[in-house]
Amino acid sequence: MARLLYLICIFLPLLSGTAILIFRFRSARALKILTVACICAASAAAFAVLSADIRETVVFLPFSRTLSIVFRLDGAGRFFLGIVAALWPMTALYACSYMDGSSHLPLFFGFFCISYGITAGIALAGNLFTMYVFYELLTLSTVPLVIHPLTRDAIRAAKIYFVYCMGGAALGFASMLFLLSNGAGGMFVPGGTLSSHPYGTDITCLFYLLGFLGFGVKAAIFPLYAWLPEVSVAPTPVTALLHAVAVVKAGAFAVMRLTYNSYGTALLSGTWAQYTVMMLSAFTIFFGASRAVKAIHFKRRLVYSTVANLSYILFAFSLMTPAGQQAGLLHMAAHACTKILAFFCAGAVLHFNGLTMIGELEGIGKKMPVTFACFTCAALSLTGIPPFTGFVSKWHILTAAAGLGSVYAYIGTAFLLAGALLSAVYMFTVVLHAWFPGSGFSGLSVEHVREADWRMLLPMILLAAGTLLCGVFSGPIVSAAAAAAGM
Amino acid sequence: MYAVLMILMLLIPAGAGIAEACMKRASKTAQDALLVSALAAETLLYALLLFLPVNSSFLLFSMTDVLTIKFRMDGFSILFLALVTVGFLLSGIFATAYMDHSGNRSSFYAFLLFSQFALVGMDNAANLITMYMFFEMATLLSIPLVLHDRTPEAIGASMKYLFYSIAGALLGLLFIFVASRYSDTLDFTRGGSLNLSAVSGHETLLLVVSLLGIVGFGAKAGMYPLHGWLPDAHPVAPAPASAVLSGVITKAGVLAILRLIYFVVGPDFLRGTWVQTVLLSLALLTVFMGSMMAYRQDVLKKRLAYSSVSQISYVLTGLFLLTDQGVQGGLLQILFHACVKICLFLCAGSIIFHSGKTRVSELLGIGKTMPVTLWSFTIASLSLIGIPPAAGFISKWYLAEGALESGLPVMNWLVPVILLISALLTAAYLLPVTIRGFFPGKDYAVSGERSDGIPEFWLPLVILAAMSLLLGIFGGTVTEWAASLASLVL
Repeated sequence: MARLLYLICIFLPLLSGTAILIFRFRSARALKILTVACICAASAAAFAVLSADIRETVVFLPFSRTLSIVFRLDGAGRFFLGIVAALWPMTALYACSYMDGSSHLPLFFGFFCISYGITAGIALAGNLFTMYVFYELLTLSTVPLVIHPLTRDAIRAAKIYFVYCMGGAALGFASMLFLLSNGAGGMFVPGGTLSSHPYGTDITCLFYLLGFLGFGVKAAIFPLYAWLPEVSVAPTPVTALLHAVAVVKAGAFAVMRLTYNSYGTALLSGTWAQYTVMMLSAFTIFFGASRAVKAIHFKRRLVYSTVANLSYILFAFSLMTPAGQQAGLLHMAAHACTKILAFFCAGAVLHFNGLTMIGELEGIGKKMPVTFACFTCAALSLTGIPPFTGFVSKWHILTAAAGLGSVYAYIGTAFLLAGALLSAVYMFTVVLHAWFPGSGFSGLSVEHVREADWRMLLPMILLAAGTLLCGVFSGPIVSAAAAAAGM
Repeated sequence: MYAVLMILMLLIPAGAGIAEACMKRASKTAQDALLVSALAAETLLYALLLFLPVNSSFLLFSMTDVLTIKFRMDGFSILFLALVTVGFLLSGIFATAYMDHSGNRSSFYAFLLFSQFALVGMDNAANLITMYMFFEMATLLSIPLVLHDRTPEAIGASMKYLFYSIAGALLGLLFIFVASRYSDTLDFTRGGSLNLSAVSGHETLLLVVSLLGIVGFGAKAGMYPLHGWLPDAHPVAPAPASAVLSGVITKAGVLAILRLIYFVVGPDFLRGTWVQTVLLSLALLTVFMGSMMAYRQDVLKKRLAYSSVSQISYVLTGLFLLTDQGVQGGLLQILFHACVKICLFLCAGSIIFHSGKTRVSELLGIGKTMPVTLWSFTIASLSLIGIPPAAGFISKWYLAEGALESGLPVMNWLVPVILLISALLTAAYLLPVTIRGFFPGKDYAVSGERSDGIPEFWLPLVILAAMSLLLGIFGGTVTEWAASLASLVL
């Protein structure tokens, strides 16, 4: 039973995506219905796995004694799978509206399905090798989605994306090789698979750092973040789901697997490698947030905000305590829900009204009230105003950092609070601009602006309610994260 | 019972605010009626609340075991709620007439009510998380009041307000999460909730973080060094909004600091430390600097805003003294300053509405045409300066006495000296309005009719002026009540 459900989660979207690519559908309507149906079915299977609390190990392809494709769901994987399974159907519905009038629909929807299966594979991966395989596949399956508009910018962005991700994977591969060659390629276990420093502490630290940077590419760690702002040329559902949730969170998730389940925190905590990654992510928080304040392009501002927020997650993971892991997982969920909502709003403005710059949004709140009410929720959550979900996760990151008690943790805390201040600035300038136009505003510039249709509004309203309700009733989520972190 | 009343007190302004926001096309009368009846209902509920036993509490919801949203009413909530209900009611009545002057009535009323909602929640907060939540809400929901005129200055001032307040609140959040690690509970506990055995060895950390938290929350109260937004933001708002911003919303910062010192950290932990010295120095600097800046300002509303900077730091000085009389004086000053400052801002609004004059130098002879307004202004001024028997005298008396009895080196004489200098400066920046208004000089020909406008204008002014006089003359009950509150926490 477990085997079947795992395989449905992964292979139903994979196969249906391939089918969409092979059989050219005449009608766009049929294509959309098929996509949404497949994704909903896969999500239903995922929720069945989650609610039945299945934790079986399924060996799918044993290549050799050390290399095998193995699936197993543990606490952290459940978290990631839950995020993916909740957000993918919403994005599918949103994309049905957003992709109206675009060409090459089978290309888009095909790879959209395929990337779902692959992301589920990352969540379900039971060992490092399996995760690595799906991680590589995720890059390959999302490049066509970036390239989809087929403009010169898009092609250039796809190239940059490809080079960064492949380069990162190469670094990750080196780190994986280090682990495998030292007999640490087994199933992910809490506390890690590496039992001692095979060549001394420094070499372990070096390889960990390589792996961190390699997988950190997808999580847009400074200085390897540059691909993320480029790929914002992709259609908004892709930017929203893949480049604010699935791909980038897969990077953070991989870093977590590397830190907690492969190298193990016992070997790493207190080393220079830990302090390096802490400072690197703390700096990225500040860097991303200040670039977001400067950005005047709506989607780019959100992208830089993603850069900053991913480093909140990486910072929490780099604390290398159970509390840090719990906080990182919580922020992963909170940020996923919030940022995808913010992107959906930006996409609605872009798709229905062709507006891309923040300066053009003056007074638009009156014309798109639901969209901007939802965006206000996203701003509140991202800034961390209680009781929104962003507050709960930030609270846990702060508490975890204070629990570590080291000087580096306090420096990180300072960056984190500065980042929160900047996020208030870059989100609320948009909110205030949209709701409260200046005195010279005549309404002419937004005369023809119209509200989004229900296929966009429904996911947005659900997510906006989600940012609030996940905060108000965060008890179960927090305890799930605590269980995942073995607290 | 408390739960029902409390939820109603939150729902009425929130619901009425949403209704106002939806009533864009409704008639002026309907909008005014809704605003005034909501504010009056809130005041009535407050009156009912007074009959409940003190220390009733209830839990609204809990996010996690630590992060709970919980309400409790104590003496301090009652004091601050008095400002939030009565102050808003009088300003709201004034606003119904004043807002003929500038458009977009419904959005102004809506955010006035929303601000009241946030402040009511904050005043009843039973723990730091609840207080933080409503503190942030109070910032965000009062920004549209500053932004109301949509001029470039208003937009600039509101961004400044946002930045300073959120920065301050985040410093407060830093304090909250450090405090949560070193105390058993985040609930407000008389005398402080710190677990002293956990604290030992980390005193410096906690002192630094307490200082940062107080400076952070002090942003809302206009305390140096995070005061910069206040003289920009308060004057650009329409007069009724300036009145509640200066008279009531700044007190949210005071309340946060009060809760932080007396209910979380505990006065004993701070007494005699370098943090107390730093805080007193900052507060005194603010008192002096605010008065000086007010003295140099010609624009009336800006002058009043700087005066708020100065006067609210009187309250903070009292709280930082950590003595009975200091706290008592501070609490009285909260009440009296609210009466006076709302009155002064509404007078300024009435003058702007009827004559269009904004600068003090233009106010020659204004007393001949608007006698009631200027008499109210004069009485309130006298109270603020601290001339007996007006109310302001009593609070300043206790502040000075508290300083003298504090036994702190230097501060025990420095505080009364600064208070005295500042009182002189207060006279110097407020009385010229009266003098010019009533005694324009013999070359001045009175022009225009005698008119203080309709009752919506002069009634709130008269009530507030009377209160700032009568609370002084018959101030025994209030003073004793403040003394009993102060003795509760010390």
